[in-house]
Amino acid sequence: MAQPLVPELLRRHLAELAERDERADGRGRWDARNLSVEVGVLERAEGSARVQMGDTIVFAGIKFQIQTPYPDRPDEGGLMTSAELRPVAGRHLEPGPPSPESIEMGRVVDRGIRESGCIDTKDLCIIAGEKVWQVIIDCFAISDDGNLFDAFALAAIAALHNSTLPGERFDVGEDRPLPVNKTPIMCSFHKVGGRFVYDANREEELGGDERIHITLGADDHVHSLQKGLKGTFTASEFAEIMDVTKQRCSELRKIIDSL
Amino acid sequence: MGYGDVQMIDENGNRVDGRKAGDIRPIEIELGVVPVADGSASVRWGTNYVIASIYGPMEAHPRKIQRQERAVLDVRYNMAPFSTTDRFRPGFNRRSREISKVTAEALESVVLLELYPRSKIRVEIEVICAEAGTRCVGLTAASLALADAGIPMTDMVVSVASGKINDVVVCDLNKEEDNYGEADLPMGVLPNTGELVFLQMDGDLSPEQFQEAWDYNMDAAMKIHVLMKEAIANKYGGES
Amino acid sequence: MSSSGASDGRTSAASGSLVIPGDKISTEIDGKLGHGVMKLNGSIIATKLGYVVEKGGELSVTPLHTAYFPRPGDLVLGYIEGMRANIWFIDLGAPFNAILPMSLAPMKVEFGATRDAMNVGTAILCRVQEIDESHSSVVTMKGMGLRKVNSGFVDSVAPHLVSVLSSGNEPIINKIKDSSNCRVILCANGRIWVDGEPEGIRIVRDTLAFIRENADSDKISSKVANYLNKGNGE
Repeated sequence: MAQPLVPELLRRHLAELAERDERADGRGRWDARNLSVEVGVLERAEGSARVQMGDTIVFAGIKFQIQTPYPDRPDEGGLMTSAELRPVAGRHLEPGPPSPESIEMGRVVDRGIRESGCIDTKDLCIIAGEKVWQVIIDCFAISDDGNLFDAFALAAIAALHNSTLPGERFDVGEDRPLPVNKTPIMCSFHKVGGRFVYDANREEELGGDERIHITLGADDHVHSLQKGLKGTFTASEFAEIMDVTKQRCSELRKIIDSL
Repeated sequence: MGYGDVQMIDENGNRVDGRKAGDIRPIEIELGVVPVADGSASVRWGTNYVIASIYGPMEAHPRKIQRQERAVLDVRYNMAPFSTTDRFRPGFNRRSREISKVTAEALESVVLLELYPRSKIRVEIEVICAEAGTRCVGLTAASLALADAGIPMTDMVVSVASGKINDVVVCDLNKEEDNYGEADLPMGVLPNTGELVFLQMDGDLSPEQFQEAWDYNMDAAMKIHVLMKEAIANKYGGES
Repeated sequence: MSSSGASDGRTSAASGSLVIPGDKISTEIDGKLGHGVMKLNGSIIATKLGYVVEKGGELSVTPLHTAYFPRPGDLVLGYIEGMRANIWFIDLGAPFNAILPMSLAPMKVEFGATRDAMNVGTAILCRVQEIDESHSSVVTMKGMGLRKVNSGFVDSVAPHLVSVLSSGNEPIINKIKDSSNCRVILCANGRIWVDGEPEGIRIVRDTLAFIRENADSDKISSKVANYLNKGNGE
């Protein structure tokens, strides 16, 4: 990504707003933007979801492939997550090889899903030692107005819940739903004007500093954490964020599980 | 499966998806689907689903692509990994590069490039779901997105591909017809003048069949042009 | 396309109707041509998506969306993107950056001291002095009200809405100023500088968001008036 111009006035204004406990778009500190989640939106994918948060729009598609298992884990399948931030999604996005930002996004979303154990890789076994399923999650940004991390993570788990293992197409049995035994949810926080806020839009990301991403699974178990960009935070700031995360993850989990 | 071996049109003229020889697949057009872009459009065409977004005009970087007397179109056609039945690997793809080039050349024939010297206009075409004729859907979506962005053009571009199945010429090939048929003729048409900005062909067509396929494309382009105007009028209302 | 609306028989597309690029507007090719139209094959056609306007014998199309192209005399809000020993490069949100020469700065600047005077990221109110044929421009900060901006914040609307906000007997932008009690400067490049009390700023922000959501409505002026009145009545 090209280094965007960050107007001095923006940072100053965001700090003034933060002092008054306000955000530029009128939201409260922990408020989310309008959210919409749809599943089963991509006909060629074996599972899919479209997530819109404010003006941020992403797709996640699940594709399955068959591969030979690793010799030391003959009855376990594989999981791979990739995130694409193509130029379609923003003026600031340039063509070229995957940016460090998009690679980080893919890996952070992957860890949240993988470490939660929501997919038991033994469920992906077809013939031990010969054939196992590989699950590929492709996160794809269409419009970047901030907080792609959460949009990708939400779309990914919604798409997984919506997936069908295509046994018939690969001639290895009947089609069956992909077993997904829990719903990990990611919440991201950006330090804007000196304090953390939830679901930052692009202007807040631009004028803000460091960010923290937390993925929680069932019973508030922590499955992944990531701190990004330059800056510091205290234990009490983190504890405050964690409280908000527990609340928000629970809300989002209900939404995903009800689709 | 051989050329022409698969039965795709019956004695009553019904194609596999129920269409007759001259019928177009269902099309849905929407403008302004990428909120952060300067202009955008999505086109659903059969099972195809393509999104195009526009950024610009902007300063042309890198320097070497800049032209003193006019704008350049920087077009990227790309297929999303989940757009095809077998996952489409991200990364450099020759077919996508070729389509990007001919799409840019088609659009450069209608955009008033001289109004923006030394600048570039980015055209980002993403195939979200593919079902035959994606290059046509992409070119059509790009022209809608350019209109949405307020980029001046001499006309819209409507692109459609006709072809031949079981020795019968048909309009707007679907997936099976594209895979197992005997010819494919995609065209990009300017509906107000009937001029062409895009033309490719592969397969085997007799002179008469070629004319038939050509006429089907022209006819389809006019119909799709009407759909474009309806979609735009529905969104923005007819009067100011 | 609309079928009603004033049409004097010459025009194929009535004034006020919505047109897309390529649509024939008139077969009378002697008339004056404004923005968004051109002569082609013996007719006048639309080159942009927008509404046909016929005013004083001149045909034009008001586009639904457009980029900002600097015109001499425009008041604009820019951000300093970079500098050399004797000029600054200004981002105006236009296809090309503008340049601000040392001689047109608001303060006396020594050669090589541009960065000390105004650094990258500074917001400035300036005026477009001249443009060349590729839409690059020179801006000046010598003039009334032209200065560095140190307080408040910058919101924006799409450039084609600037005339909507500033036209008429009771311009929308004035209504916003009155309702919010804020200092509001609407610039030609769509950027809007706002400064005032928090409550007033909230009104301005919300009204601009409302305007952006209803930007494509034909009755935007009355809608905004209603919106502001409702707010004041609460």
